Amino acid sequence: MLRQPIKTRSTVVLGVVSVLIMFAAYTVISNWQHEKNPDDTTIPTWNQIGDGVKKAVEVNPRSGERWVLVDMEATGTRLFLGLLVGIIGALTLGVLMGCFSTVEAFFIVPLSLLAKVPPTAALAVFFVLVGTDTEMYIAMIAFGIMPILAQSIYLSVRDVPAELLYKAYTIGASTGEVIWNIIVRAILPQIIDTIRLQIGPAMVFLIAAEMVCGDVGFGYRIRLQSRLLNMNVVYFYLALLAAFGFAIDYGLRLIQKICCPWYVQGKR
Amino acid sequence: MVCTGKKMKDLSNDIVLECRGISHRFGSNRVLHDVNLKIIRGEIVSLVGPSGCGKSTLLRSIVGTHPPREGEVIVTASGEKTGRVVKGPGRDRGIVYQQYSIFPFLTAQENVAIGLMLDQTSIPFRLSRRLRWSKIRKQHLDEAATLLKKLKLGAAINKYPHQMSGGMRQRVAVAQALILKPEILLLDEPFGALDEATREELQRMLLTLYLENCQARQRGESAPYTIFIVTHELNEAIYVGDRVTALSQYWNWKESGFTSCPGATVVYNRVAPVYLPDEARDFAAFISQRQEIREAAFLPGRLQSCQEFNRFWDEVRRGSGKGVLK
Repeated sequence: MLRQPIKTRSTVVLGVVSVLIMFAAYTVISNWQHEKNPDDTTIPTWNQIGDGVKKAVEVNPRSGERWVLVDMEATGTRLFLGLLVGIIGALTLGVLMGCFSTVEAFFIVPLSLLAKVPPTAALAVFFVLVGTDTEMYIAMIAFGIMPILAQSIYLSVRDVPAELLYKAYTIGASTGEVIWNIIVRAILPQIIDTIRLQIGPAMVFLIAAEMVCGDVGFGYRIRLQSRLLNMNVVYFYLALLAAFGFAIDYGLRLIQKICCPWYVQGKR
Repeated sequence: MVCTGKKMKDLSNDIVLECRGISHRFGSNRVLHDVNLKIIRGEIVSLVGPSGCGKSTLLRSIVGTHPPREGEVIVTASGEKTGRVVKGPGRDRGIVYQQYSIFPFLTAQENVAIGLMLDQTSIPFRLSRRLRWSKIRKQHLDEAATLLKKLKLGAAINKYPHQMSGGMRQRVAVAQALILKPEILLLDEPFGALDEATREELQRMLLTLYLENCQARQRGESAPYTIFIVTHELNEAIYVGDRVTALSQYWNWKESGFTSCPGATVVYNRVAPVYLPDEARDFAAFISQRQEIREAAFLPGRLQSCQEFNRFWDEVRRGSGKGVLK
């Protein structure tokens, strides 16, 4: 039968085995490649990857900087500011659309149209409008995640049972209090869930933009190093990106757990 | 015992809620026709009727979230002579729905205290006067805890709604509405989703409140709780109410000159027996009244005049009302 539960130990063992297979397979493939061509850098050996890490972490003799640090600072700042602007904008728009029919009617068409334009394709537009500084990356991320985030928040607001709002009015709430103390509180866990889902796309937009017009940052470094076929640096950067995304996701889940102790997944 | 004229005047002068000529329709679907109803302070009035007859529509008109097409609802505060016309939801009318009455993101205590917070303070105050607010907040929480204990919820104070049983949730919902001392408490099928044993417990809770009303009356004070309960359970209606009112679309509208049914109206309005909270609940004794309500409201083929069973005020005048109607 489907969905038969298994023992916790089996779950852990299966998880570990899958990771081990992944690493083993990589080692085998890399060895094959190096038997054919000992100077290969496309599928680097573990030693070569170690060199790549060293290269990225140590002070670079030409620029006098540590790549990882400058890239992390640049990409981190851009991502943080972009997410901040995008989330604040989407929250305002989504909540107002869910609460007021006029705002809803005004924004629903542009929002659903804009949501269909891939932000990476619209890169040139941001380029023209706000230049190539940090603002461009912020605009890229913010406009990239805003349509979907706003739509999702708007739908969550609409899903708040009307009875709760009527109830609030009968115990003396003003409209502002209904929005802030009832609606926003009620949808907070869903907002955090949606943000978690939008971290991935936000990073895609940012890396893409950095690849096209960055002079520092993860996207820039990955593009440069992959052109030089320095895949050892590229793989290290990819691993860093994964860790980065994982950390943000974990942080958001922690915030959700602390701020919304009442929220039980799949149960309202 | 026949009531003195003065007593009768007392009762009809102490009207909490009046529905005056309420009619409502959704598009061409006419739901309510000229509903008139006066509720005396301290009463528990049960509203029954066939499904789809507009019970909830009437209740929404009273809450103020869905104003009626015609007519008005007037609420008179305790100690005041003239009432106010209902313009929208307000704190003088508490409401408990079948579900979604309490906020899932607050504990029982916070759910009850939030009424005091929303009613007495504002967002700018709470943001700018942090210290003062935290003091007031503590008082609010204490007050909420006291009320919860009174309603036998002392053990649930720190629980979130999803950790409570259905019966506990409805108790919290009642506490949440009562903490602001509304003029009238409106209950929309409040116990519909509960099992029979829990249902009975909650009915007894309402009867406890009613007993307080009777005691307040005896001391010559104003009764603190007036309750209007919509239910589809006839036994429940007769058991908790001191009066049963029925809405129905099955009445003799031809007599009033209509060619098709103009909507449901009040077809039954009579006093009901009054029970003490610890008295045995005997549904067998309700047979004749249940039968009468069925005849008046639930038989599509029986279109009697809507005045036939509309005898509440006569009964009060003759002194056959019990409890606060005595």
